[in-house]
Amino acid sequence: MSFLDLLSMSASNLWRRKLRTCLTILGVIIGTASIVVMLSLGFGLKKSYMSEIENSGELTTINVYSGGNNYYYDEDGQTSNTDNEITDEVIEQFSQLEHVDFVSPILSCNIIFRQGVYRNDSYVTAMTTEAMVKKKLELASGTIPTSDEEIRFIFGNSSVQDFYNYKTNSYPYWDTGELPEIDFEGDFFVIYDTEAFYNSEYGTDSDTPVKPPKKYITGNNCLVAGDVEAYNSFSYGVYTNIDALKKQLKKVFKNKAIPGQPTTKSGKPYSYWVYEQAYVQVDDFNYVSEVQKQISEMGFQANSNAEYVESTQKQFNTIQMALGGIGSVALFVAAISIANTMMMSIYERTKEIGIIKVLGCSLGNIRSLFLIEAAFIGFIGGFLGLILSYGLSYILNTFLGGALGNAMDMGGGGSSGISYIPLWLSALALVFAVLVGIIAGFLPAMRAMRLSPLSAIKTE
Amino acid sequence: MSDATSKPVIQVKDLYKYYSIGENRVKALNGVDFTINKGEFCSIVGTSGSGKSTLLNMLAGLEKPTKGQIIISGHHIERMSENKLVKFRREHVGFIFQSFNLLPTMNAVENVALPLSFRGIPKKVRLAKASKMLSMVGLKKQQFHKPTQMSGGQQQRVGVARALVVQPDIIFADEPTGNLDSNTSAEVMELMKKIVREQNLTLVMVTHDNHLASFADRIFHIKDGKLLKIEENNREETKNENEEI
Repeated sequence: MSFLDLLSMSASNLWRRKLRTCLTILGVIIGTASIVVMLSLGFGLKKSYMSEIENSGELTTINVYSGGNNYYYDEDGQTSNTDNEITDEVIEQFSQLEHVDFVSPILSCNIIFRQGVYRNDSYVTAMTTEAMVKKKLELASGTIPTSDEEIRFIFGNSSVQDFYNYKTNSYPYWDTGELPEIDFEGDFFVIYDTEAFYNSEYGTDSDTPVKPPKKYITGNNCLVAGDVEAYNSFSYGVYTNIDALKKQLKKVFKNKAIPGQPTTKSGKPYSYWVYEQAYVQVDDFNYVSEVQKQISEMGFQANSNAEYVESTQKQFNTIQMALGGIGSVALFVAAISIANTMMMSIYERTKEIGIIKVLGCSLGNIRSLFLIEAAFIGFIGGFLGLILSYGLSYILNTFLGGALGNAMDMGGGGSSGISYIPLWLSALALVFAVLVGIIAGFLPAMRAMRLSPLSAIKTE
Repeated sequence: MSDATSKPVIQVKDLYKYYSIGENRVKALNGVDFTINKGEFCSIVGTSGSGKSTLLNMLAGLEKPTKGQIIISGHHIERMSENKLVKFRREHVGFIFQSFNLLPTMNAVENVALPLSFRGIPKKVRLAKASKMLSMVGLKKQQFHKPTQMSGGQQQRVGVARALVVQPDIIFADEPTGNLDSNTSAEVMELMKKIVREQNLTLVMVTHDNHLASFADRIFHIKDGKLLKIEENNREETKNENEEI
């Protein structure tokens, strides 16, 4: 019997028992939809979590710190293992690693900003312009500072909280809830030699007064986009371009040691820069662990979100499995009902099966006829179930997604829905529904195949 | 008639069939031997319980004998597996049932074409063949009728057409007129006889009615599982070959 004949014969047999077929299909629809919707909740959770991390650019970032595990002091108090300092040479080595997109050294130092009566004793983080762009720094106005221009600063959108009135000695934001009026685009007095500043301001142990350090005026600063409460990876703190900062620090400290930079025994600065930290950006999340391992093996301490994200993902997978398990109960019930329907149909058609057997229909064809019928039920049910799933998913996302999504977000404003059906899931669900039909139909089909042809001859 | 036509198509040797019903052993067939030649129309006559239906079932490969041999067109069918038996029936056997056994969802021409579909013959070809076969049995007008729209006689003509469409070596008919009135019975019998004659087919018919049996060339009388006698019926051409009584 040709496959087409088998198909049309099975289809017409199903059509003959419309109501029963429809009821069985309804079971499969509910079963498929329950699995798909349950799984889609898991995918939605995972997706919104991942997109949030991705947006912050931290998913593929490895933070490298000097030293690592084998950083120790010798007996005479000298730091050994100087090989493990992050120098420009090391940065170059990192950028040679496979799958590394770019590397930015991080230089941090204490800098004091002043405008009017407000002062901010800040810890400035400097990195390359590329790093700021790639880490999705968005400014409220102006441009990201580059290496070629005079030093400019970027203030985090929450950094306004850190300005305090040094006349009244109070933090306006924390004490009164009012934001100090600061013109971030305007000029600031910038004090780089903070030690000298504190000594001149608050005095030292020796009674000789210390001359206040020189103040520099810096304009054209900018602010990170977002209001005070909004969070992103640049919200807190002050940022600038690393090359501009290095130039400025050299200018400020001349031949003296720059704070934070290691010195020789005699207190002289080294001729090269040492960074306490570096960002290593990897091109794909899947290679983060691998690159991180390589960097650790080079003797540096490397941290990334990879482990954390992976463990969170595992957690989500567990939740998803549990949800899918609950959903699959309905499909299991549907499978039983397919088997039952097929069984009933075989009892009804005993005589008919006998007749076609006497007329020479091969055993394989008889089995195929029933398997195809069961597969049809699975396919139609699976297909309609998918349509239902997409509908439910849409309803969940529009009516529940907003409320639930806001509750789960950390205020990042990510509006990706709580239910997400990947295309491969719908394909898989359809295949699975057909498979369930075939498996459920297998025993009945075998039974039909073994029915005696004699039943055809018996007169009723 | 030439020797070629009198070649044996069915050979039955020392055939036994026992049924176990509870503790009792029922001897449905108790040593049967006969030969049927090509082109013969034979009827097997006996009362209810004589074993005639059992014999037919075994000839068609629907039941397995307890002991003995059945050779049809050179094949030992008593040794075949069920799969092979189905294939054997598909290729060599046509079957006419007492209760017609047409599929109620199909119309006449589809019913006739059904056995051809089991052979994998394309739809167009098999419907054309079936339609031709229906005109031969005189049902050209009714070929798109469903079985429920036809009389018993018409239904059995469809049954005959269905048995003939595969051009079988042998046709088995199990009380083909059992559900028909006597006038229609005679019509169907004449039709079967005519076609068998024209196409030189072999027909084995089971009946309990001596009158219907007399349409055949040879009549096998069976009683209590034994062949009582074989009666030649006004056909001089038929040769007798070592039949035991």
